[in-house]
Amino acid sequence: MDVSHDTLVVIAKTVGLFLLIAMFLAAVVYAFWPSKKAKFDRAARSVLDDEDGPCR
Amino acid sequence: MLRKLTALLEKIVSPFGRLYHLIFRAMYRIERYSLGLAFAIIIVGGIGGAVEIAPLFTINETVEDAPDMRVYTPLEQAGRDIYLREGCYTCHSQMIRTLKDEVDRYGAYSLAVESKYDHPMLWGSKRTGPDLARLGGKYSDDWHVAHLRNPRDVEPASIMPAYRWMEGREVELADLPARLATLRDVGVPYTDAQIENAVRDARGQATPDGPDAEGVVERYGEATNVRNFDGEGGGPTEMDALVAYLQVLGTLVDPATIAAAQAQVGSKGE
Amino acid sequence: MVAALTVGTRVLALVILGIGAIVGLAMAVAGAGQAFGVHGWIVLIYCLVIAWRVMLQLDAPEPSPSRLRSYYDDPIKMGVVLTMAWAIVGMGFGVWVAYLLAYPDLRYDAAWTGFGRLRPVHTTGIIFGFGGTALITTSFHVMQRTSRARLAGEFTPWFVLLGYQLFVILAISGYLMGINQSKEYAEAEWYADLWLLVVWITYFTLYIRTLARRAEPHIYVANWYYLSFILIVGVLHIFNNVALPVSWSGSRSYILWSGVQDAMMQWWYGHNAVAFFLTSGFLGMLYYYLPKRAARPIYSYRLSILSFWGITFFYVWVGSHHLHYTALPQWVQTLGMTFSIMLLVPSWATAANALLTLNGAWHKVRDDATLRFMMVAAIFYGMATFEGSFLAIRGVNALSHYTDWTIAHVHVGTLGWNAILIFGAIYALVPVIWRRERMWSPRLVEWHFWLAVAGTVIYVFSMWNSGILQGLMWRTYNDAGTLQYSFIDTVMAMHPYYMGRAVGGTIYMIGMLIGCVNIWMTIRKAPEAGYLRDMPKTPAGDADDRRVPAE
Ligand code: HEM
Ligand code: HEM
Repeated sequence: MDVSHDTLVVIAKTVGLFLLIAMFLAAVVYAFWPSKKAKFDRAARSVLDDEDGPCR
Repeated sequence: MLRKLTALLEKIVSPFGRLYHLIFRAMYRIERYSLGLAFAIIIVGGIGGAVEIAPLFTINETVEDAPDMRVYTPLEQAGRDIYLREGCYTCHSQMIRTLKDEVDRYGAYSLAVESKYDHPMLWGSKRTGPDLARLGGKYSDDWHVAHLRNPRDVEPASIMPAYRWMEGREVELADLPARLATLRDVGVPYTDAQIENAVRDARGQATPDGPDAEGVVERYGEATNVRNFDGEGGGPTEMDALVAYLQVLGTLVDPATIAAAQAQVGSKGE
Repeated sequence: MVAALTVGTRVLALVILGIGAIVGLAMAVAGAGQAFGVHGWIVLIYCLVIAWRVMLQLDAPEPSPSRLRSYYDDPIKMGVVLTMAWAIVGMGFGVWVAYLLAYPDLRYDAAWTGFGRLRPVHTTGIIFGFGGTALITTSFHVMQRTSRARLAGEFTPWFVLLGYQLFVILAISGYLMGINQSKEYAEAEWYADLWLLVVWITYFTLYIRTLARRAEPHIYVANWYYLSFILIVGVLHIFNNVALPVSWSGSRSYILWSGVQDAMMQWWYGHNAVAFFLTSGFLGMLYYYLPKRAARPIYSYRLSILSFWGITFFYVWVGSHHLHYTALPQWVQTLGMTFSIMLLVPSWATAANALLTLNGAWHKVRDDATLRFMMVAAIFYGMATFEGSFLAIRGVNALSHYTDWTIAHVHVGTLGWNAILIFGAIYALVPVIWRRERMWSPRLVEWHFWLAVAGTVIYVFSMWNSGILQGLMWRTYNDAGTLQYSFIDTVMAMHPYYMGRAVGGTIYMIGMLIGCVNIWMTIRKAPEAGYLRDMPKTPAGDADDRRVPAE
């Protein structure tokens, strides 16, 4: 293999960090997007009464 | 456009029309949404594994070299397969960590290279019994046989199961060539001669004064233990095989090589 | 249950079972005289028994199409029963191995009763049998209810549920006969692994297809957790089990990986089996049954999403904390340790989210043992993850690794979190599915609760003590600078704790058996609830409309 062990190790050590930050931000943005609030609230309540349909 | 294409496709595959319909409808139903979520999960989850594991496949560049390391003899491999079968790893580790008390108790700490032919590795995760990584040569064959027969005969407080049923049970030899060939396919450097003579060598290793003993030494080296491990006559038993394996643990790499590699690793590591 | 299937489905089932039986027969012939052949017989008999059940009702009249407008709960009922059956098997073997460690001769003088063969029966039977069946069963419930949709298909759920049982049966009967590839939590051999793969892919498609029927565009978060469980476990399973069979007519195979690579692969798998099997899937369970039972929405839905991504991302990195101070390169160990500590954040966020949901409803927790099961599970989840992150620190792991401390940690997680959550979920589920007002005996639920908690605490405290003592004894030096204790000294010191653990386990098991009785009696005797439920309010929601692609 051409890629040396050391290069891969460096990638492993840096990419992980950047990805981590990027993903964290993405998840935060998604979770706290203002217009999603209503949707999330509805979802949270949706399980409370689901034994009677409508079932499709 | 799409509809035309679909119609055309439908015509072409009309013999399989029903099947096609089924698949088409299934695809239609699989909404982008839930598949998108599935993709995201795979990607987010996959990165960690890939990033961490990929470098290990280039590790040969950094793993210590042990050019004199030999592969397991057929009898030892048969013993190893018994070790797998009995689940010995549930109580015994084969990995001495780089901690002082472990080195004092069990011997030089384990090197990566020492398990490079181990499919699978047996480092273990629990020491209900002691570590076995450097067991080879520590006790006599007789001790091992007595201990396996009933551990409490040699160590009254032991909680290890007794394996007396293993005594006198002939070890399965017929498929040893196939086993070694498979091991070669996954990366253990067995030679053609070693594979061809696997059954003979297994017999030979347990019958020191027999005609096949010489071949074992020839193919696996002077240092190979050629002994009647269980002290009984007849063909090799499971006891023979298991003891042969136990007696070779940690001795496949020359101690001098281990010491040299540790000096090198030690200065880089800790 | 068979009569509720269409005739077409019954025939399809017979065809598949016929194929299974032929494969079984082929295995039995090819492997005659070996354990592999016995497995062939097991496959054959398994298929024939189910085929016989189907055959008995092959001529029953077609079920009414109106059933398509209600949820499909038959597989869930079967799943509940199977879950409890696995609890008996798994815990039974657990108790046996626990006593074996105190009294090693408490066995027959036969190969199959060796500790090394029995212990994998315990771990596989309890994790994959009990835990896995519970996950599949509850996921069938959750995916339907949160999507307000019927399961996608009537054949597939049975295929997944019963096919999965066959995998576990092959796995554990294999260990007893000496078929074991000695990879922890993946001991089953190549053909069982392949079969599991087939079942797993079917499971995934079933899940996705059911979700696709939902009305609401948003997918409720519990499903996210179940999905990640299915997906990541599938990926792990494939990579960890790549093996080359020695022959197609035998069970033996050799794994592709070796040495360090195998170690890393193994614990990447091993830890994520913990993470995605015993954590992610179970969080799915928690996020559905806890709010439902408490009749309160989850405290923070946003937090549940954030912790979802946190858990999914962090967990995959941490496998190397199982390999501290070994021949694994040190930077990988450090990475594992760092991520393990960071993992505590989403883990505790999750536990807090669950507990805060109950804040203000403590009277319900006091009165309702079922809800209390779930609350205690969340607490133990918090404890297990805290302890886990702690054990992942290199210095701590130097002491804990290889000792009973690991076993203590494992059972805080499995007894306190997984099993207790399963019991809570089942007590919530059974009355709903069987349309009962409540469990047959709330008092017995109460009893089960206290026995489970007591059993866990006794077990875990015994193992904490023995683990730490063992670790310390191993590293004690005397004045002369040599090791103070021989290995056998440390074994003898463990005896009282092994006894304590066995007693704790027995208590736990008694609680579980009481649960079985209660569930059985609920099915037979508890008063029926007059649920109107399970039927659509408007005829517009007719399932048949969904058969046709929309738009
Ligand atoms: C009746 C209750 C139980 C008893 C008595 C019990 C007993 C045991 C014993 C004696 C061991 C072997 C420990 C050793 O080798 O030193 C063990 C290991 C294990 N048990 Fe249990 N167990 C019980 C319940 C459970 C449950 C409910 C689960 C999972 C859902 C579970 C999962 C495990 C796992 C994963 C291991 C392996 C730990 C390791 O390798 O580090 N156990 N158990
Ligand atoms: C933040 C979460 C967690 C972390 C960081 C963590 C960390 C650890 C560590 C460091 C070990 C010991 C490895 C060794 O020394 O061999 C371990 C073992 C184990 N943990 Fe956890 N743990 C966590 C949560 C859990 C949970 C929730 C469970 C649920 C049941 C669990 C089940 C296990 C099992 C079964 C083992 C034994 C593996 C073996 O066979 O050696 N862990 N964990």
